[in-house]
Amino acid sequence: MIALRNNKRTKISSAKPTTAFTAPTWILLSLTIVFPLLYGVYLSFLNINLGSFVPSKFIGLANYKLALTAPETYSTLLTTIELMLIGLLVQIPLGIFLAVVLHQNLKGSRFFRSVLIVPMLLTPVAVGLIFRFMFDTDIGIINWAISQAGSDGPNWLGTRNSALFAIVIVDSWQSVPFVMLLVVAALAGIPTSIYEAALVDGANKVQVFFRITLPLIVPTLLVLTMIKIMDFLKLFDTLFILTRGGPGNDTTTLGLWTYKTGFIFLEMSRAAALGVIILIITMPVYLLWRKASKSVR
Amino acid sequence: MRLKPGKVFSYSILVTAVFLAMFPIFWTISTSIKTRVDTFTLPPKFFTFTPTLKNYQLLFDYDGFWKIYFNTIVITVFTTILCLLVGSLAAYSLARTPSFRGRSSLEILMIIVRALPGIIIILPLYNLSTYLGLYDKAWALILIYAGFNIPFAIWLMTNFFDQVPIEIEDAARVDGANNIQLFTKVLLPLVAPGLVATGVFVALLSWNEFLIPIIMAGENSKTMPILVASFISNRTLDWGPMAAASTVALLPIIIFTIAIQKWLVVGLSGGAVKE
Repeated sequence: MIALRNNKRTKISSAKPTTAFTAPTWILLSLTIVFPLLYGVYLSFLNINLGSFVPSKFIGLANYKLALTAPETYSTLLTTIELMLIGLLVQIPLGIFLAVVLHQNLKGSRFFRSVLIVPMLLTPVAVGLIFRFMFDTDIGIINWAISQAGSDGPNWLGTRNSALFAIVIVDSWQSVPFVMLLVVAALAGIPTSIYEAALVDGANKVQVFFRITLPLIVPTLLVLTMIKIMDFLKLFDTLFILTRGGPGNDTTTLGLWTYKTGFIFLEMSRAAALGVIILIITMPVYLLWRKASKSVR
Repeated sequence: MRLKPGKVFSYSILVTAVFLAMFPIFWTISTSIKTRVDTFTLPPKFFTFTPTLKNYQLLFDYDGFWKIYFNTIVITVFTTILCLLVGSLAAYSLARTPSFRGRSSLEILMIIVRALPGIIIILPLYNLSTYLGLYDKAWALILIYAGFNIPFAIWLMTNFFDQVPIEIEDAARVDGANNIQLFTKVLLPLVAPGLVATGVFVALLSWNEFLIPIIMAGENSKTMPILVASFISNRTLDWGPMAAASTVALLPIIIFTIAIQKWLVVGLSGGAVKE
């Protein structure tokens, strides 16, 4: 493989596919992403409210000032970060755990893997609805199961903490399989000779895992963490179905707050300003992602 | 054969995980064939109920159901084709040419699409739609879906082009093939499995897409996720028909999943797992 790569570099001089081949992609992305993004920046300097008939005018940085002084901006940012942290803490260890169990190549592990990845494929909207039904305080099966165990289930979607937890549960149901799948791939890439050497030296399984396996899959875990951070920034479907950001604004993330500002309060320009702010504060994520994904390839 | 305690532990973990992964799906299907009374009964009825197709009847009789279903299929198919056609060309250059004009801007743009909450792009698009006539048009949805999903597609396909030995290309060049011939006659057949995996992935994402249609689709171009979601805006939560709608939305995915198991694992892991 290494020889092949080197070979590739030395022969690069012949006619290679270049900019022309990316032209169709550029056209598509310009129309659907770049142009709307730029138009969004333009909108953020106006005062467009879809509910009013006042002609729009240029109001400078007023929308940004408003966004940066509004408490909702910070509380929803905090919620986003909270969800992200709880989610990562639940999903990454659980995914690693399942991957390690699968990696033992027990009889039927292919079957188990196939079945376990099904949740990640399913329509998030439908998944959200099903869980909303199962989380129901009166007729939900989850609280029924808890009552069978002799205690009272919480009003899942009715209070902030339990609602955040419920959102993480639903997201984990779809995300843990993804973590598991990538970690299984990373584990498969570790040569068995490394383990054998360690076992000869008298290390036990737990030591082998923490001292050898874990350090070797760190690049994959970094990529996974980045992907999950991006996914939590984007989180919309399940959140929208489960709580719509409620009770109140208690589970509203920054992304959902932008949606609400634009499409519930109809403050298009204010929402556009929030969008630009999100673009700026997520900048480190783009740079880190580029670095992380390169280290794996 | 004696079972070691370690094995028993592993299997009990896997069986528990399968139960947790499958139960919500089982519960959806079972709720979809229950009467209203059975749905609201506690303790819940797992198997001891008389199945009914009434919820499905209600769903199929719903004005516009078949139009919505057909529309979702059309949008999914065309988005997938567009992403594969346009994306494979870009993936080819990204895999084969380490530096060319616009390469890093393209990469950064792809990351932005991947990381940024979609609402930031959809909101200005919605504003523009009144001038440009984009609102509630299936073709506009296809373009936007494709724009949102093409970074995934390119990223995935780049991995597959990477795996084709360069010698094959060099040989074809010696025989006088130009870039286009090389691409269509030599490379595409070689990466066909990768294209299938990518196509499956894009199709899934398009089928499941919610944010774009909830803002950009009206009565004419509504998709399945919008129909499924509409069950919660009603005051009385009608779990039966809701479960039926969910089942109808999920069933093609589950059948599809079983049919193309092999490609799926490759695609979902971004080419990291190879069968």
